[in-house]
Amino acid sequence: MRFPARPATLPPQLPEWDPAWSRIVEARTSDGTHAFHVLDTLPALTAAGVEPAGTIVALHGNPTWSYLWRRLAQATIDAAQSGGRAWRLIAPDQLEMGFSERLAHSSMPAPKSAEVRRIADRISDFDGVVSNLFAEVAATGSATHPIVTIGHDWGGVLSLGWAARNTELVSAAISLNTAVHQPEDAPVPAPLRATLAGPMLPAATVLTDGFLRVTLALGDLDAETKDAFHAPYRRAEDRWAIGNFVADIPVDDTHASDPELQRIGQDIAAFDKPALLVWGPKDPAFLERYLRDLRQRLPQADVHRFETASHLVSEDHDVPGLVLDWLSAQFDAPTTANTPTEAAPAKGSSERKGAAASATEAASARSGTPSSARGSTSDVADDSATGNGSAEVRAVTAILDARRDDEALASVDFAQNPAQQITWHHLWHVTTSIANGLLDLGVKPGDRVSMLVPPGNNLTAALYACLKIGAVAVVADAGLGPKGMTRAITSADPQWIIGELPGLALARAFGWPGRRISVRRLGPVRSRVFKAETSLTELSRTPHRAELPTPSPDADAAILFTSGSTGPAKGVRYTHADISALAAVLTRTFNVTEGTGLVAGFPPFALLGPAIGATSVTPDMSVTKPKTLTATAIADAIIAGRATMVFASPAAYTNVAATAGELDDRQREACAGVELVLSAGAPVPLELMDAIAEVFPNASIHSPYGMTEGLLLTDIDRDGVAAADATGGLGVCVGQPIDGVELALAPIDESGRSADELLQGATAQGRLGEFVVSAAHIKSGYDNLWHTTADSARDDLRGLTWHRTNDIGHIDENGRVWLEGRLQHVVTTPCGPVGPGGLEALIDADVQVSRSSVVGIGPVGTQALVAVLDAEGTSLSPGLAPLDLTARLREKVAEAVGHDLTAVLVAPEFPTDIRHNSKIDRSRLAAWAGSVLAGGPVRGSV
Amino acid sequence: MRITVTGASGLLGSSVARALVTAGHEVTTLQRRPSGVDGAVDVIGSVTDAAAVDQAVTGAEAVVHLAAKVSMMGDPKEFEAVNIGGTRTLVDAARAAGVQRLVHISSPSVAHTGESIIGDGAEPASPEFARGEYARTKGAGERIALGADSSDFRVLVLRPHLMWGPGDAQLTERVIDRARSGRMPMLGSGAALVDTLFVDNAVEAIVTAVTAVDSTHGEALVVTNGQPRPIGELMSRIAIAGGAAEPKLRIPVAPALAAGSVVEKVWELGEHDDEPPLTRFLAEQLSTAHWFDQRRTQEVLGWTPRVSIEEGLQILAAHYA
Repeated sequence: MRFPARPATLPPQLPEWDPAWSRIVEARTSDGTHAFHVLDTLPALTAAGVEPAGTIVALHGNPTWSYLWRRLAQATIDAAQSGGRAWRLIAPDQLEMGFSERLAHSSMPAPKSAEVRRIADRISDFDGVVSNLFAEVAATGSATHPIVTIGHDWGGVLSLGWAARNTELVSAAISLNTAVHQPEDAPVPAPLRATLAGPMLPAATVLTDGFLRVTLALGDLDAETKDAFHAPYRRAEDRWAIGNFVADIPVDDTHASDPELQRIGQDIAAFDKPALLVWGPKDPAFLERYLRDLRQRLPQADVHRFETASHLVSEDHDVPGLVLDWLSAQFDAPTTANTPTEAAPAKGSSERKGAAASATEAASARSGTPSSARGSTSDVADDSATGNGSAEVRAVTAILDARRDDEALASVDFAQNPAQQITWHHLWHVTTSIANGLLDLGVKPGDRVSMLVPPGNNLTAALYACLKIGAVAVVADAGLGPKGMTRAITSADPQWIIGELPGLALARAFGWPGRRISVRRLGPVRSRVFKAETSLTELSRTPHRAELPTPSPDADAAILFTSGSTGPAKGVRYTHADISALAAVLTRTFNVTEGTGLVAGFPPFALLGPAIGATSVTPDMSVTKPKTLTATAIADAIIAGRATMVFASPAAYTNVAATAGELDDRQREACAGVELVLSAGAPVPLELMDAIAEVFPNASIHSPYGMTEGLLLTDIDRDGVAAADATGGLGVCVGQPIDGVELALAPIDESGRSADELLQGATAQGRLGEFVVSAAHIKSGYDNLWHTTADSARDDLRGLTWHRTNDIGHIDENGRVWLEGRLQHVVTTPCGPVGPGGLEALIDADVQVSRSSVVGIGPVGTQALVAVLDAEGTSLSPGLAPLDLTARLREKVAEAVGHDLTAVLVAPEFPTDIRHNSKIDRSRLAAWAGSVLAGGPVRGSV
Repeated sequence: MRITVTGASGLLGSSVARALVTAGHEVTTLQRRPSGVDGAVDVIGSVTDAAAVDQAVTGAEAVVHLAAKVSMMGDPKEFEAVNIGGTRTLVDAARAAGVQRLVHISSPSVAHTGESIIGDGAEPASPEFARGEYARTKGAGERIALGADSSDFRVLVLRPHLMWGPGDAQLTERVIDRARSGRMPMLGSGAALVDTLFVDNAVEAIVTAVTAVDSTHGEALVVTNGQPRPIGELMSRIAIAGGAAEPKLRIPVAPALAAGSVVEKVWELGEHDDEPPLTRFLAEQLSTAHWFDQRRTQEVLGWTPRVSIEEGLQILAAHYA
């Protein structure tokens, strides 16, 4: 087959593509002058009267073309026109790709063919094209006009290589899924291997559009978009270069391009400007190991993972929005504190986050927090705003160290049979031994350690050993299920796993990353099966030798995963200072002090005992099934720890109250000695508070509100709940902010978005908004989610660092917080936004209703307000609710909020998440209601 | 203001004429039978009769054009003559007479292609895709009216959707009659959301439009109560308000659509004064969602529906008590 030469051409009309972006540019290359089709927004910007103040050069991979960057082109033009920095986008089609020139070929591409264009040629092609175009705008590459690269697939590594070799010009580099393949590490991924196999190569890539079609299936593309990607590759003679690219993959070190790729890899490692890695983890070719490799080469890189994305990450997700915000954080926000760049120093802690540059570097390299956090603004908030406890931050392990000779009880673990008691001295000794052992094994400060150990003495020992040496504990709740845990742990990418057998079995079955350490010593067979290198038991016998490294307060201490009820679970980053601040809050607000005995039935707090110096008792219960906590178990724990405080979840207390009849006199007396009952994890209705009071007659009962990103934000006690109930307010009252927590409200507009400006005080009262909080003990960021971090911490009111909670509701005239749902569940009726939670409580109060979900149907801003009732546990049959019930609920809603309740539907079932069986999957329920109210079927699954 | 109302013998037309008289306007009406509106000057004639139209619009400052052939079935030529020809005659005569305002009453069906309408605004009329002769010819008529819009001849099109209330023979009485005789079917789950308009609100919206047209013109607005309801619920409520029992008869959607087509065909073969009991169009209307974004309408008219559906039902019940 012959492949004739053909000049560069212009693309036809395509969706989302402006013909004004297309240019044909000639450039001198290694084999003469060639013509390239280039996406260049300069003419469009000029036409709009905008002078570019920066240039993004973008390089596509195989087998796409500059169409891949169309949304970035549009977004940059839109941003420029609305007053943001005007970025010019230059995105060439690689030679023989897209609409660029085709060269003549007489044979099929093959790895050793002399006709194959090598990666070295392609970098020089790119250089030729963009250099010509830079010359058109005089300031390009100067301090006032930075150049940034972005690439994808092969274009990723090529553009990074070009950036690394042109650091005098380039100010930052971005890459989406790409790889610097290391032949010695592992073979190329299976899908590529198949394509590379000799005669398969031309058949898959050139003679058919197989490779193209398979690639385009790696994203959620509609038919029109797929067709646009196909446009320059319709005939076999258009596709020679698709085969060329595949033939040029250096599968092993004998390949002609391998030396150049290795050089590129080394050059990238020397690139020390800001970098952003954007990743779709479901990519079958560009695997996690390539991301890991890139992060080692670019330790300063910020990372944003789109957990649900595959190879074509920019087709499925708002990559342009991420890129523009990131660029803005790098180039436009040096003085104001409106990005998470300033998150760290503004936390109100007396410890500046920039204090230990090396530790911060190590932390932010893995973190997803902008690297530019280092050395940025030092406008530290006044301490009065963030709590007086922040003035003196104690190291998390300070008390444990101070009590190294104390023979008093530190921890009692009823999960062990028989219950295991350890003293402070013992706990100090064990944690120090394990810390030494971990160091000997090769654990380095900043390494991540996945904890697959249920709460109890073993977890406490493992955790505090890690804290002592600056290793970062990764904690993903088993409630996420194996799939969710796999996604979470893969994204956190721990170097180590410490696990009990069930955890190690999961790690093995799902291929979780990390070298394995078992809790107990395993026999040789099981050690081999689970790849356990050692055990905590063995490590705990390590002699104390090394001077342990002291982690910086700003170094990461833990990554705690959210429940993932609104998308993939997010890793939440806590530093040592954050954990210290959290411990201080418990002391300040609930008087948990050294020597207090507390029963810890709620996982996050169960771990804080040693940091506070409190004796913690782990009761006999299954953590993932809080309902297994019985009254006798809690009473025995109280007795063992001489506890005066009990921490557990509402589900656990429900069962404690239900089993209170089994208590004997001694146990009942122990319960009567409890002074404080804390219920966390979900709001506690008054009936349950009353039931708890029966078991613990002398305790004050508190229910704090918080979330993984800020575990203690507000608090309400039993009297408070009763008083709030009496007001008939809408939603669930969770009380007032605790000492040290600043609360603000971002009002919600008619389109359901929360405002950028925050309100506090009287102006914040009585209106629907998103709660935004600031405190020393809130998260430092999300892990590998640069954009999510930036977004959640975008506020800078009074110079503080804030966290957007995504929880909505209102603040009443007494400053009490009322929760009414989640931001994404706001219903936007023509009369304004409505929080579903408040109405649901109202509707659930009806005798005919077991539980309800209020959803919005129709376009944003003119949605119909619809109540969906669960048929289960009621006499209602699926479909329209009975007329009288509908009328009753409609009247109630109109009275309470003045909104028109459009319809009341009864759903055959309520879809809920596996973890809690209580969080309703509202998007599914809304979709079902939308379909039914459009005339669709009622029956079948929701 | 001197205002001419066409089609004032119908419920809506006569109510509008009456409301305009009450508001102090000089009202001339044009229709084939006496309007029965006290205080209005009747011109008897059809909108297809150029002489009668000339007579009715001479001296008017505004025209409210309600006259139309409204029916599910019938001879296409008759629909064309009234809904297209009549509108053209009226628009030409009004412009010639120096009238400055036209409020043209249309129907949401002019833009309804059979798909669900879920919170949409007033899409442009598309007679090419219209379902049935009424919608097709009303769509063409609306285009004529909007095509004539200028700063000297300001045209606002209102599309009231599924009007009901005391005195309404089109929908309300039929629902009640059929429910009383146990023949009121509910299609499918009856949950398809529809917008409706209580008659008093329709009248007030049109009256408001006569002045609103001075500031905003050249566009079409769907007018509803802004309270979408499941069709089954509303029909049941209307039936109950009319003294009937809650309808229990349920028909699956697909057979109803098919039956509607068959009945339509059979009906056309015979001689009937009445409408067929079920047309495919009606079956579609009753089994798909059609509710609208009312924000633009309420903004342009500076009007919100005064009578809620719940209050309307009470008024209806009192009417039938």
